[in-house]
Amino acid sequence: MRLIKMVPVAALTFAVYIIFSGSVSTYDLILGSVVAVFSGYLTAELLISDSGKALSLRRFAWLVFYGIYYLTVAEFKAHVDVIKRIIHPKMPINPGIVRAPYNVGNDYSVVTVACSITNTPGTVVVHLDEGSKNYYVHWIDVKAPDPKTTYENIVKDFEKYVKKIFE
Amino acid sequence: MKRELITALSLTATVLVVAYISTLGGGLGPLFSDTRPLAKVFLSTTLDPNKPMFTAMSPEGVTAIVWDYRGLDTLFETAVFYLAIIGAVAVYRDVSEKVVLKGGGVGLSKIVKLVTKLLIPMNIAIAISIALHGHLTPGGGFQAGAAMAVVPMILIVVFSRYFLLEVKISKGLALALRSIGLIGIAFTVFLPIIIALISGVNSYIMQNQVKFGAPFSFPAFFGDSLISGSLILYNLFELLAVTFGFSILFLLLSIEESLVKEQMGGEGSEH
Repeated sequence: MRLIKMVPVAALTFAVYIIFSGSVSTYDLILGSVVAVFSGYLTAELLISDSGKALSLRRFAWLVFYGIYYLTVAEFKAHVDVIKRIIHPKMPINPGIVRAPYNVGNDYSVVTVACSITNTPGTVVVHLDEGSKNYYVHWIDVKAPDPKTTYENIVKDFEKYVKKIFE
Repeated sequence: MKRELITALSLTATVLVVAYISTLGGGLGPLFSDTRPLAKVFLSTTLDPNKPMFTAMSPEGVTAIVWDYRGLDTLFETAVFYLAIIGAVAVYRDVSEKVVLKGGGVGLSKIVKLVTKLLIPMNIAIAISIALHGHLTPGGGFQAGAAMAVVPMILIVVFSRYFLLEVKISKGLALALRSIGLIGIAFTVFLPIIIALISGVNSYIMQNQVKFGAPFSFPAFFGDSLISGSLILYNLFELLAVTFGFSILFLLLSIEESLVKEQMGGEGSEH
């Protein structure tokens, strides 16, 4: 069981080793594999709980898609919005900290959504309440503080894709 | 005001004087001119198979100097570092890290924890890569060990020290692995002599490549890859020793002050 869990972690480690070493010589390919297996063995249990999910190609494809979508569409929209507010002579901001509910379960989903929210300009997750399943988000333009509005505006877009990747 | 002015002026003057002496004044030798003679010696011998008596067979001049040309110096530096750690272990000898305080071990938020977990395998890969390339690119065993020691350090900060106890990283284990690293270094130091004694020739302590009258030599190549003889071994064992040397310190320093006082107590409270 641990052996299967090791695969994704070892692949990640191997990629990092080769990129960091900046070489694909036989020396590095062999030693990189050894290091990858070693590090995978040590950390697999810590990182992976469901090896089937971790090795699913469909989920991986969604991850790649989400990465591209996030870095182009989502980031672009958020940047345009914040740039508008910056160069507008009246600086139309209405900042505040709001409660935004989330509906994802596992750690990876919760963290990915939180990091996605934080990394887009205009919104920052300042606190995570796992008990009531809420993010506390600092929002540059609070449209309304009720959970429905915050969920629709802040969380929904990311959650849709993250569910397909990790849930 | 007057006082601050004097401070500022004297600082500026000091910087100017030091800058003048070290560059234009020639206190450290001329800059922007030819390479100095000592540097030339190392640069021309560090990787030159045509000078087998002088070369360290490593393109990384610093590692060659540190572990080959003046290897004994590094060996004793290493010893000093480990004596300092032994000192820390001795100070904490009565303190048990196994004792758990009530309500301890919560750690930071889930976000920080997961991101930290993801960084660990990458951190291990980078640290070992630094050690394995110590004889080729800047870096080496100590730097790699310092990079690797980040793992227990961030685990303590993000998860609390109880997490390390859970995954069985204890002071005892760290001491054992550090000792294996040190024994490895010592073994590499004496290996030339052991082999020379068996085969009936001469050799020097910490010898890497062939020297005059001492034909022993660590293999400089493994297949087609340059491994620079003993340098890669020193770097690997140093990685092990430094990683767990630092880990011991982090483990000891993260024990709660109240626990330390309670377990070591007595003397302080009596006086």
